[in-house]
Amino acid sequence: MAPTTQFELAQPPNDAISSLVFAPDAPTRLLVSSWDKNVYLYDTHTTSDNGDAEGGVSHGTLLKTYEHRAPVMDVCFGADDNEAFTAGMDWEVRRVDLESGEQTTVSKHTAPVRRVVYSKAHSLLISASWDSTLHIHNPSNPSLTPLTVTLPGKPHAMAASPSKVIVAMTSRLVHIYDLATLAGALEAQTGSAPQPWQQRESSLKFLTRAVAAMPSDGGYATSSIEGRVAVEWFDASAESQARKYAFKCHRQTDNAAAAGTTDVVYPVNALAFHPVHGNTFASAGGDATVALWDAEAKRRMKVYQKFADSVAAVAFSADGRFLAVAVCPGFETGMEDYSGEGRTKIVIRELGENEAKGKGAK
Amino acid sequence: MGKKKRGHPDVEDILSRPWCYYCERDFEDLKLLISHQKAKHFKCDRCGRRLNTAGGLSVHMNQVHKESLSHVENALPNRQGLDVEIFGMEGIPEDVSQQHNQRIIQNFYQAQADRYAATGNPPPGQGGKNPPKKLKMENPDDIKKRLAEHRARIAAQKAAGGAPTHTPPVGAPDGQSPAQSASPGTFANTPVSLPRARPDSLLPPQYPQGGFNYPPSNLPSRPGSNLPAPSGLPPRPGQPGFPGYSPNASTVDELVASASSGQQGDHIDQMIRDLERGEAPAKSATPGAPAAAEEPAPEKKSKKDKDKNVRMVYDDELSPEERMALMPRYAFVPQAV
Repeated sequence: MAPTTQFELAQPPNDAISSLVFAPDAPTRLLVSSWDKNVYLYDTHTTSDNGDAEGGVSHGTLLKTYEHRAPVMDVCFGADDNEAFTAGMDWEVRRVDLESGEQTTVSKHTAPVRRVVYSKAHSLLISASWDSTLHIHNPSNPSLTPLTVTLPGKPHAMAASPSKVIVAMTSRLVHIYDLATLAGALEAQTGSAPQPWQQRESSLKFLTRAVAAMPSDGGYATSSIEGRVAVEWFDASAESQARKYAFKCHRQTDNAAAAGTTDVVYPVNALAFHPVHGNTFASAGGDATVALWDAEAKRRMKVYQKFADSVAAVAFSADGRFLAVAVCPGFETGMEDYSGEGRTKIVIRELGENEAKGKGAK
Repeated sequence: MGKKKRGHPDVEDILSRPWCYYCERDFEDLKLLISHQKAKHFKCDRCGRRLNTAGGLSVHMNQVHKESLSHVENALPNRQGLDVEIFGMEGIPEDVSQQHNQRIIQNFYQAQADRYAATGNPPPGQGGKNPPKKLKMENPDDIKKRLAEHRARIAAQKAAGGAPTHTPPVGAPDGQSPAQSASPGTFANTPVSLPRARPDSLLPPQYPQGGFNYPPSNLPSRPGSNLPAPSGLPPRPGQPGFPGYSPNASTVDELVASASSGQQGDHIDQMIRDLERGEAPAKSATPGAPAAAEEPAPEKKSKKDKDKNVRMVYDDELSPEERMALMPRYAFVPQAV
């Protein structure tokens, strides 16, 4: 078969996708968390012969599903390709052994858990919950009493760079914690939570939707519900802070209205930095598009053809060759009912050699 | 004070510029146009190879990558088709070409009118209708005399207790006609009270047609950002469907406007633009503020936002996930432990 650049995975989740992530060591191993209470593990590039109804349009194999008690809000890989952590609506953070399917509860919050991140370098598991706390664990040393960090607001997005973790909350609050400090505080077992390394106000005026950290450890990008993305640097020096910027994206002009034009502004649901070309990041919007940006050159590199529905999540594979796109209906203001049933898809795009390479540095 | 030639090209110059069928952009010469087309529209996104035509790219995609090309990249929505074979200026359908020329002409005259309105200069050839501007020279004695008269008048008014009546402006002692007082020399010091329009608007100002006695108070200080591009075309709108746009603009204009929002950020095109302007290529490394439509700082744009109709698909203090979590379908009710 000729290689196709873009294809849909067979057997997608039954309801909206909350998050997807590629394995750290295998470029075709993909975990997907869904509102249908399951976590799905796919191999994106083995084609199963059964259930291929649409004449070879679908690819990939669903290896396993892991059922939870409630919708799963986030998922991340742990120390290796066989360990995963999930954030549940049922207030729990769970560890999932992907091989055996065994689930163990790692931590219990007092409200739904919104995000989980795992830092391999510091072997730290950080979960952010709507009870306005972070729970910090060392999964490799369960004897340590987990650390609880109280936040000033509900967290909505979290991302870890090699040395920092960025937590974006309500009221445009952004706290940045130093992972080594957190690890030290956990090790010390004094129970006192360290202060944030930096406290910032979001550069965006609206509710933060997503955060992604640069693999270079230089900075991060945030996005809001109001079609905007901001790029900032960790370095607090004036010249580094002067480099930060924000821009509009994921908007459409609606000319249909008789009285002038209306700009339809979509939320930017997800951000992901490219693991190899560290200046490139992808943004996924409610306008059903995914765009690639060059953070350094401040240029848009590419916009992909519209997908069928809003894009809820994006992820690059560890080698940067693949881009996974979670497509499901977007939740809009005033919706009384919502269902992603039947309209949820996962699209895998194979990137060309230079597709994600910035043009900036010449 | 002689007439300044600002180097605005005339219509013929602009009409003769080669332009790209796919994105309606014009170029200094054919070579640049062709390199633009190869880079923007005929480049293979799998291997980066630049082909000469859309057909060539289609064959390349078929043979090398076993894929089929469905549309031309970066093209205006109605120009994405593969059915027309374009190379440089060759192959452009007659009707499209005419449409383009019309657009250029319309934009040109609009830019010209804007320029005249902004500078207050009459169009060339019509300046003669106004009386020649005379430089008024007053010697210090005259001025002192007039000041004394003026003071006397004020004092008389105060003494009479009446409402202050019109006092002739100091600069016009002998009852000049309004037209004369509107000569640039005089109104240069009149305070500009009414900003004509936001500098980012392309809407032609409402100035009286034919006559050139603009009321001085309406004359804005020349807005820097409203200067037409060196090509004589109005500056490209930074935003699709931006507010002040005249509703009767041709569709192509709107398309170009919306498309340019995405395409201006392109590095190659930026370089070509810079080369045309004769700027050093190094300058292109820093993105120009208005160049990348989707990139500017939010502060600058916020002014615009206010007068634009904006509909946010999601506008809430609670996140979509929290809203969804409230629905019975997804809600989790913790069991009493």
